[in-house]
Amino acid sequence: MFQIKWVWKNLEGCRKRYVFALCSTALISMMTLVNSFLTAQIMDTVFTPVQQGGGVTPALWNHLVFLVALLIGFTLFRTSFNYLSILTYETCSQKLLFKLRRDLYANMQAQDSSFFSKNRTGDLMTRLTGDLDMVRHTVCYVIRMLIDCVVLFLTTTITFLVVDWLFALAMLAVTPIIFILTKAFAKRVHPLYVDLRERLSRLNTAAQENIAGNRVVKAFAREDYEIEQFDRKNEDYKKANLKASLLWLKFSPYIDGLSQALSIAVLLVGGTFLIIGRISVGTFALFNSLCWTLTNPMRTLGMLINDLQRFFASASKVVELYYARSTIVSRADAVKPTDRVAGAVRFDHVSLKLNSTEVLHDIDLDIRPGETVAIMGPTGAGKTSLINLIPRFADASAGKVCVDGVPVGLYDLQALRSSIGIATQDVFLFSDSVDGNIAYGDPDMSEEDVQRFAKIACVDFAGKLPEGFDTVIGERGTGLSGGQKQRIALARALAVRPSILILDDTTSAVDMETEKYIQEQLSNLDFRCTKIIVAQRISTTKRADRIVILEDGRITDVGTHEELITRPGYYREVYALQNGITEEGGVA
Amino acid sequence: MARNRFDVDETLETPFNIKHLLRAGVYIRRHAKKMVLSILFSAISAACALVGPKLIEIGLNEAVPNKDFRQLFLLAGIMLVSILLSIFFSVKRSRYMTVVGQEIIYDIRKDLFEHLQRLSFQFYDDRPHGKILTRVINYVNSVSDALSNGIINFVLEIFNLILIAVFMFLCDVQLSLVVMAGIPLFLVIVLVLKPAQRRAWQDVSNKSSNLNAYLHESLDGMKITQAFTREKKNAEIYHALNTKMYKSWMKAQYTSNLVWVSVDNISTWVVGAMYLIGLSLLGPAVQIGTLIAISAYAWRFWQPILQLSNLYNTFINAVAYLERIFEMIDEPVTVDDAPDAQPLPAIQGRVTFEDVTFSYDGTINILEHFNLDVQPGESIALVGPTGAGKTTVVNLISRFYNINSGRVLVDGHDISKVTLHSLRAQMGIMLQDSFIFSGTIMDNIRYGRLDATDEEVIAAAKTVRAHDFISQMPQGYNTQVNERGSRLSQGQKQLIAFARTLLSDPKILVLDEATSSIDAKTERLLQEGLQALLKGRTSFIIAHRLSTIKNCDRILYISNKGIAEAGSHDALLAARGQYYELYTAQLES
Repeated sequence: MFQIKWVWKNLEGCRKRYVFALCSTALISMMTLVNSFLTAQIMDTVFTPVQQGGGVTPALWNHLVFLVALLIGFTLFRTSFNYLSILTYETCSQKLLFKLRRDLYANMQAQDSSFFSKNRTGDLMTRLTGDLDMVRHTVCYVIRMLIDCVVLFLTTTITFLVVDWLFALAMLAVTPIIFILTKAFAKRVHPLYVDLRERLSRLNTAAQENIAGNRVVKAFAREDYEIEQFDRKNEDYKKANLKASLLWLKFSPYIDGLSQALSIAVLLVGGTFLIIGRISVGTFALFNSLCWTLTNPMRTLGMLINDLQRFFASASKVVELYYARSTIVSRADAVKPTDRVAGAVRFDHVSLKLNSTEVLHDIDLDIRPGETVAIMGPTGAGKTSLINLIPRFADASAGKVCVDGVPVGLYDLQALRSSIGIATQDVFLFSDSVDGNIAYGDPDMSEEDVQRFAKIACVDFAGKLPEGFDTVIGERGTGLSGGQKQRIALARALAVRPSILILDDTTSAVDMETEKYIQEQLSNLDFRCTKIIVAQRISTTKRADRIVILEDGRITDVGTHEELITRPGYYREVYALQNGITEEGGVA
Repeated sequence: MARNRFDVDETLETPFNIKHLLRAGVYIRRHAKKMVLSILFSAISAACALVGPKLIEIGLNEAVPNKDFRQLFLLAGIMLVSILLSIFFSVKRSRYMTVVGQEIIYDIRKDLFEHLQRLSFQFYDDRPHGKILTRVINYVNSVSDALSNGIINFVLEIFNLILIAVFMFLCDVQLSLVVMAGIPLFLVIVLVLKPAQRRAWQDVSNKSSNLNAYLHESLDGMKITQAFTREKKNAEIYHALNTKMYKSWMKAQYTSNLVWVSVDNISTWVVGAMYLIGLSLLGPAVQIGTLIAISAYAWRFWQPILQLSNLYNTFINAVAYLERIFEMIDEPVTVDDAPDAQPLPAIQGRVTFEDVTFSYDGTINILEHFNLDVQPGESIALVGPTGAGKTTVVNLISRFYNINSGRVLVDGHDISKVTLHSLRAQMGIMLQDSFIFSGTIMDNIRYGRLDATDEEVIAAAKTVRAHDFISQMPQGYNTQVNERGSRLSQGQKQLIAFARTLLSDPKILVLDEATSSIDAKTERLLQEGLQALLKGRTSFIIAHRLSTIKNCDRILYISNKGIAEAGSHDALLAARGQYYELYTAQLES
């Protein structure tokens, strides 16, 4: 039931309106009874007297005109009121949806990378679309129908009890059984809906990965395999759906049968009472004509319970996202630097554990403001993990990472990150113009600035695109070559004029000449910035003030290019490997 | 380049027509038997339900005055039977319809997904992936009820309507005409509301598509957003899309709900009018008994109309989604098997480009009059400035794109005339971005050849020097990984993708920046293993590290829409051209 509490909490701001809507439904349910009452009146007071030979008198005419006018007027009132009521439900549920989307989006933005590696995009999308829609459906439809059912049922029950309690009890005898059945059904269907949700999520993930990995699928001509895999998930989803729906059909005959048995009760009990003279024909007619107001709610209730179970399954998934908390957040007393960060970075005996494996051990490194430090090492040595500690994409398990002498954990997260410019290894571009991508960190950036940074990062090719810098590039930058994407990512990182610039293998797909040009540009930036460059190529690392060798999560050597090539170790080996050509070609 | 950004509505030119529903008929027709039976069952069930009131009437008129308990119990027994029959048939119908509804969405989704597999890179490059995803999942789910129960109810209500109308006319023609006088008025209202309603629902589908596309991209690019502290700005964009969604939904509600309001009111007007006119005509023209009978029908006549107008809302909504789904199923397959395509026989690996001109967008040529002949077993390196078209050249061999003119031949077979599957299955391509599927490392490598044994997978991993790091992981080859899993570094992903490619044992091997993120030492080891593997295979290698390419048989310097220089490493150095410059630049740096 926490799901309902959670919904109520989030209805804040339109709770009054929602309560109004709930009350109006109760009123409207009762108003439907008025319609039948008025029609019955016309029959009884106008037509029946005429039929019994009363003749059409002016008084009768006036009476009919009055009743018809009342009927029309009342219908207009009732429908308008109902229209208003339904739109109030829609408004409230849409406002709720709006707020939930907003909050959930904000909360997604506050999650750290461990969250995103646990939760796949397809699954998150399921929660933020299908599950959220189930919440909306419940708030604007299921609850309304529930109230309608309950009010109709109660009103009639009370009326019946007042008129003839014994007759009423005879009719209500089946209701406990129906409730027991409905409850048993709810209990059994719940796990099925939890399962169905899971299947939907898997289906969504399968489709999402197939779309994202479409190039690999085609490269390996694996279309048939993918279709087969997807088909299985599609089939599973269908089966789960059928299982849940068909369960209702197992219960519904009994529930339906029992509720319709009320008519039998009317005939048998009512008939007997009539015969023994306990009730009048009028009472019998009343019970008979209102019988449906007991039958219908009982029948619909099951379906509503069904919907509610779906809601519980979906809502708990949404609630999970809603309350997901990242461990990487700003402290309450976080420091917001007033001046530009100088850019000193210090790793003070830092260790890092990921998934219970230690990937960094006792890293001790001091980087001065404005210094250029290259980090080199074998694949999987922990280079990316190391630099991820600076903008707090991950927090160290032991030791301290400091920027300008202050531990990163003490900074306001936004302030810390905005003083860092980073170009990640796996380039992600947004489906936006080249211009928009470069200005991603500062959307208000002037066009000249964009051009300037584009020039530094050698994004000159953009000028040759069909619409120049306004050309919209595909999601993830598809349509551009790897080197082109990297250069846009570099320009994007530079454009925030960071105090600390982190380049994670940013020029690996860029050709040598361009790289050389970029390096020259980087050493002549018009703002001071500390540069931390992860690279595999000697050509990239050579100019750095210091080169840090990271092997198996440990710093094994630090020095300049000249120092490192003179002593045995990783760097010299790589140097020899990459200059193998030199010795053979004899150019150097 | 992307035509559809997240904030651009996809305009649909086709006006609303029943076409989309009829087209959905293809899916429904497969269940024709169940659909027809369902209609029948519903009719029987409804007929049985009608017995009840009649039985009560008999009881009241006969059994009660005669104090005949036997008859009373007999009637109750008949009623019980009728109820049981009614339930039996209605449950049967529901069961059929549940199955049909699920089958239909299963079929539509299957067709959509299969079609998506045939669409070219271009299609995926052009639109936000979130928009494709929403169609496959959410939209398809949204149409199930309309296409199963919706259609059955539609038929039943029409049937109902006709039946009531007939009974009504049998009672009295004049008064029946009065009751029907409301229909033209109702039609006028529907005609006024219809276009607005359709536009409104289409708008809802557009806005939700935009919202989801943006959400999808946001989730994928979250790390960048956080790194650039763009959260606020993105929240604003999302807020704007969210607001648009809210508004379009409410707008659709304002108009849609007017339909039942008008039906309810019009029906009251005409029935009221009928009472008045009926009374004034009373006499020889209209009997009072007739009047009483017809007034019962008059109310019931408008019930199906109300139901139909509700169904109309459901259909309009479903059509808005169907339009989007069919639009995607109709997306032309630009790179497809030729009608008379033959499977490519087992190849030797000769690749020929004959006067090939190619452009991605039809305006700017990437390659012009490109000629190249590669012998089986030859290794070719492609170098040159970023964006010169190196990747394009190798993409054309696999026919990921169609060329504008000229021919690409593999073993003398024009690749546009062989089946895509037979062509690509014989090629091993390692792309710039190595995508990792969620699953185990074993699964990911095996993707290259589905029937490979575990030993073969491990052998491939050993060849590319991935075995060491994989076996160091907690669950080894059974470690679960995914695209964004932090467990793998970029270099490790590349090694896995490399193993995957090798496992497919291709005759033609394409390595596009396959080792850019792999450290020099691992790469060196990898190269050693690779040399043996390259034997007997034609290979195309794109790389910036000269150490990777200098051993190739032939090096092509790609620039200016073609091959600027070609030759062996030594020959090109001796020529002192662009390659020489590139080479010395690397040495100097």
